[in-house]
Amino acid sequence: MNDLRLDWMNALLRKRGADEASRENLRAFAAEHGIEGDDLDAIEAVGAERFLVYRSLVHNRMRNTIRDFIERAVARLGIRRLKADFADWMEEVAAHSPYLRDVPAEFVAWAAPRWAADDSVPDYLIDLARHELLEYDILNDHRGGESPTGRELALDKPLRFDGAARLMSYAYAVHKMSQDAEDRDIPEQIPTRLLVYRDPSNKVRYLELTPLAHAVLEQLIEHQQPVAEGLRKACAALGEPLDDQRLGTAATLLADLAERGVLLGAEA
Amino acid sequence: MQSQPPTGVGLGLRGAFLRDIVRGDADGKVAFLEVAPENYMHRGGRSPKRLATLAERFPIITHGLMMSLGGTDPFRDEYFDELKSFLDRYGAPWHSDHICWSGMDGAMLHDLLPIPFTTQTAKRVASRIREASDRLERPMAIENISWYLQLGKSNLDEAEFITEVVERADCSLLLDVNNVFVNASNHGFEAQAWIDAIPLQRVVQLHIAGHEPWDDTLLVDTHGADVREEVRDLMSYVIERTGPKPVLLERDSNIPPLADLLEEAASLQVIYDEALQKHAREASA
Repeated sequence: MNDLRLDWMNALLRKRGADEASRENLRAFAAEHGIEGDDLDAIEAVGAERFLVYRSLVHNRMRNTIRDFIERAVARLGIRRLKADFADWMEEVAAHSPYLRDVPAEFVAWAAPRWAADDSVPDYLIDLARHELLEYDILNDHRGGESPTGRELALDKPLRFDGAARLMSYAYAVHKMSQDAEDRDIPEQIPTRLLVYRDPSNKVRYLELTPLAHAVLEQLIEHQQPVAEGLRKACAALGEPLDDQRLGTAATLLADLAERGVLLGAEA
Repeated sequence: MQSQPPTGVGLGLRGAFLRDIVRGDADGKVAFLEVAPENYMHRGGRSPKRLATLAERFPIITHGLMMSLGGTDPFRDEYFDELKSFLDRYGAPWHSDHICWSGMDGAMLHDLLPIPFTTQTAKRVASRIREASDRLERPMAIENISWYLQLGKSNLDEAEFITEVVERADCSLLLDVNNVFVNASNHGFEAQAWIDAIPLQRVVQLHIAGHEPWDDTLLVDTHGADVREEVRDLMSYVIERTGPKPVLLERDSNIPPLADLLEEAASLQVIYDEALQKHAREASA
């Protein structure tokens, strides 16, 4: 069941330019959204500025959460640009998760294509924002910390990995950038592949991967392939033969991940 | 099994001092902790583990943020399923949320937005409270919010509206005395008269907090300052009439060191105890 007054206030909070429109003629702006009669008179009597307090409260809370989560990316993007992007996001999409902590990731997912298409935005900014979100995401992932399967690795079985582990690919080495939001260092443009996981003491760890290691883990973690099939597909994707050297490399990688508590054993 | 409700002054658990409380800095100094389930639901890692530790040492009361009881969107099954699991785990005697709306058409606005004070709205909100209570399989308490304007023409005042809602929903009331003060100041009514007009017998908990000026004409419920004397007096006024209830000190911005918050909680407890003595004298008179 709709309520026109709530619908109108929703528009006031979300629509781009609703602040100017309501200041210019609050009655007309409300009437455009179907408000009439006594409700229209009551809204006009309140005045635009009081309604816009709510717009400020809503925007500030979410925008500040975004700033807190991707502080270095926002410092490089600039507050004015963030405000403009945020206003567009609020009108077009807005947040959908009931958890405030999800707002930054929802915003970045929407903003990334427009930043990528805009020459005025540094090319590395999307990677940096994704990377800043990643640490919080891994730290708070409801998955992770599962028990080992107790089953030995077998070539014909898929493997189980810690639920919070993620494979990341960047075009820039953003994981090596300064943590200081005041710095304006520019990351090296180099294909970067990481395995990111939460260790038993709840610290986020980053493991740089070779192209082969990344391709193998992509098959084993994301596509849940049996080990032999995963190795075959990984080498095929790279155009490389699956020879003894690569088998040895993969075995060393899996042993290392088991030691780190990321690889939990074979699936049944 | 649901736990017995605590009484006395408790503290809202916040990330800023979670570690200090886990370390034992608040042991024996607050009657209970109140948690926002949304801060722990669908979340792993360190924080839920810390909360589990604290639940063994403190009574826990839950207070939600995003139910949007005044909204028009259908409730989300996933949200309620997770919330129910959380409440079952921590044995909360009731669950509370606000008389407000927080989102529309699937979008979440992450704020406590005002609803029209009309009989029709009261019916809708009461129906949603009953649905929430059924879904959670426990009593609901609803909190009066700070509202900065009337959204359209009202046929009820706020106290009448809240009474209409809680009686139609047959639910409890979480009385935020700071919100009463802020609303009284912003809209020019008398706070104690407002309290006298609501069904105090339905109050199961109080909230108390600080507020800040937005401008010369508006106070905003920021939870970003110490509790004012007038708000402390309102807490006392209510406890004198209701008897023992859990009173929650909230602080969400400009958060001072935990020691300062505990000192503020202790000073509130002194006022609370004095109010209880008056309540006992009245009861025995």
